[in-house]
Amino acid sequence: MNRTRTFITALTAGLLLCGVGRAAAEISLVANHDHITIDFFYHGSSVSARGLVEAGTDVIVKIAGPDGKETLKEKGKTAGVLWMNVGTLHFENTPNLYEVYSTRPIEQILTPEEADREVLGYRALGKHLTLEPVTSPEDREKWVGEFIKFKEDSKLYGSSVGKIATEPKDVKQEFYINTAWPFQAPPGDYTVTAYAVRDGKVIEKIEKPIDVKQVGIVQTLSKMAKNNGALYGLLSIAMALGAGFGVGLIFRKGGGAH
Amino acid sequence: MFLYLPVALTSINVLIPVGLGLAVGLLSGLFGVGGGFLMTPLLIMFGIPATVAAATDSNQIVAASTSGTYAHWRVGNVDFKMGWHLLIGGFVGGLIGVQGIKFLHAMGNADFVIKMTYVLMLGGVGTYMFIESIQSMRKKTAEKPVDAKDSAFTRFLKSLPLQTEYKKSGVTHSMLVPILFGGFVGILAAVMGVGGGFLMVPVMVYILRMPMHVVVGTSLFQILFNCIEVTFLQAYTNHSVDFILAVLLLLGSTVGAQVGAVFGRKLKGEQLKVILASIVLAVTIKIVFDLTLTPSLLLAQAGGH
Repeated sequence: MNRTRTFITALTAGLLLCGVGRAAAEISLVANHDHITIDFFYHGSSVSARGLVEAGTDVIVKIAGPDGKETLKEKGKTAGVLWMNVGTLHFENTPNLYEVYSTRPIEQILTPEEADREVLGYRALGKHLTLEPVTSPEDREKWVGEFIKFKEDSKLYGSSVGKIATEPKDVKQEFYINTAWPFQAPPGDYTVTAYAVRDGKVIEKIEKPIDVKQVGIVQTLSKMAKNNGALYGLLSIAMALGAGFGVGLIFRKGGGAH
Repeated sequence: MFLYLPVALTSINVLIPVGLGLAVGLLSGLFGVGGGFLMTPLLIMFGIPATVAAATDSNQIVAASTSGTYAHWRVGNVDFKMGWHLLIGGFVGGLIGVQGIKFLHAMGNADFVIKMTYVLMLGGVGTYMFIESIQSMRKKTAEKPVDAKDSAFTRFLKSLPLQTEYKKSGVTHSMLVPILFGGFVGILAAVMGVGGGFLMVPVMVYILRMPMHVVVGTSLFQILFNCIEVTFLQAYTNHSVDFILAVLLLLGSTVGAQVGAVFGRKLKGEQLKVILASIVLAVTIKIVFDLTLTPSLLLAQAGGH
């Protein structure tokens, strides 16, 4: 607890110093986590971000992972009636986590060019990622939509308006957001970015890293499964054989009693 | 209580895998099937990636079938000799089946062919078993109906070389018969990406003419070895076995298999067959629904079946 408090104080002090150093800085951000540890009992976490922006600006908060690639099976109708896998789609530039929160709908506060540059909102994300094979722009749009739906279903993508609370503070305004961190998000380096927006443009942004990593038994097993597959497989088999025999023996004793 | 699964990379309420294990283990002990056709889709439904679901299920079946084989062996219902011969065939069949998949993929539209074969196979086997077991339940006292075609087939089997007696099953066959049919099931199982218990059980009942109770024990024995092989290959090549998930599943399934074995002794062979046939038919209907209703998501991870 104490360490956390010291850490946050240090972080705040650091941000203040940054603010002094950069006269143009109009935004500050403090996240309540800079790392999330996945242990045996992990069931997701939460991240909250608080900061100050100039009065009269809109705020966008983006939580995203690095871009990756993904290969997915595409379902379609075969013989006119049966739904099954009909092909494979290769996606690239896909963040493994993508959540965007804004005080007003993004298309109302940002020009399309500006949204594209910072990859803010599903429309911009759709342009940012690549996929193949697609036959036409309509086809592309359809599968981008399906991809986002697929990711939303596993709680990895989200976009919502109004989750950011703002309130005036002196001449500035303070924003605050508290959001659940999905347990579906794999270990990795993530970034929380806060944007101050005015007149269709991003006037200031600030980033905070969040490092999600496995610890303890979760890390040991996960590493062993990846790096030492043969031993891991043999252990899994031995464990299963032992458990099967063990339970058999217990039941024999129980069965013999009556 | 929730636990984190290090390979599936997701968190799950422990009651779900323990409960699923218990239910599927029960089926295992009762009917001598692995239950992958139920377990894999259910795990995927609860958020486990398809490849991890299939691989971890085979690890879990190692435990359930050990527990089940042990329970059936204690009452003398495992024919080890028959089991080994089926395994030899199944092993070779699996190797051929893997090449068969490559061949089908090269032809194109492989998924369609595989899925249709699976549905027709399940439906056909389920229907035949259902009708046959209802009939034999009715004519309990009458001797088994033998038609001309059947006896010609039987005569052919009897004419093969290497005739040997399978004492536990009380039948005499050429060694080639279980090896060939084990191979046939092995090919289909590999192509369809399933364990094949639902095919192996009817083969033992109707072609090898083994008594139903010995069929269940012997089937579990050969499933055990198949799943050891599959678990190792999955862990070694795909890194997709989740140890924690397997432990949670087998907590339920090893107990379920024991209960199933005890319960199965109280039922007659025909009763077991008719219940298994009903389950197989229910699964067939479910797959047909899945194939015809518009899915809510049009994208899916690779690796499911």
